[in-house]
Amino acid sequence: MDDIELIARYNYDEFVPEKYRPWMNFDASPPLGSPAPDFPLWDLDGGQTRLSALWARYTYLVVEFGSFT
Amino acid sequence: MNAIADRYATHDVGGIFLYTNEAHPGEYYPHLTSMEQKFRHARALRDILGVTRPILVDALDGACHRAYGSMPNMTWIFARSGIAVYKSDWTDHHSVANALDYLLDVVARRRAGERLAPFRVERLDYRERDLDAFYKGLERNGPKAVREFRAAVG
Repeated sequence: MDDIELIARYNYDEFVPEKYRPWMNFDASPPLGSPAPDFPLWDLDGGQTRLSALWARYTYLVVEFGSFT
Repeated sequence: MNAIADRYATHDVGGIFLYTNEAHPGEYYPHLTSMEQKFRHARALRDILGVTRPILVDALDGACHRAYGSMPNMTWIFARSGIAVYKSDWTDHHSVANALDYLLDVVARRRAGERLAPFRVERLDYRERDLDAFYKGLERNGPKAVREFRAAVG
């Protein structure tokens, strides 16, 4: 799957099982107790940071993933 | 979850909302095709839904979201060291508060000199389920989002 196809499939255009179910992979998510994967993220002004820069600021960092709905 | 962030801020606990993809694309908030649109939707979380926590935006291909399991409204808690210490496939503020109380107690016990070793535990937690409120939320995305959810889930 190339980048364009990945972006199109991840940002599916309709909520139908064949489009959203393949992305629901919580059982394969990283295990607790191990170093967590790090990724670039952006604030609302477009400034780039990293997930690791955020968790490094606190004793604990709570991250809620979600969308407008 | 905003209240949880406020309640635990004095315990050196941070809270962010990570905007991912539109789980229920509709006429008003369609599926994402650009980062500009993604930032626009993310700002609506603050301006319309009242998210007061810092809002961060994932890459357009959902690299971070996908790596953590791609659930539409999951919550993870990370320690300062970068170790994930809690994950839930759905977000419930009771569950998160319960986890934070436990984890902060671990910090206190270690400071008091207890020697503690980590272990993994699984537990089934329970979230509030308010379908009426959920459908009202879907209506903000447009009739297409409502129609597709009814067809897929009922």
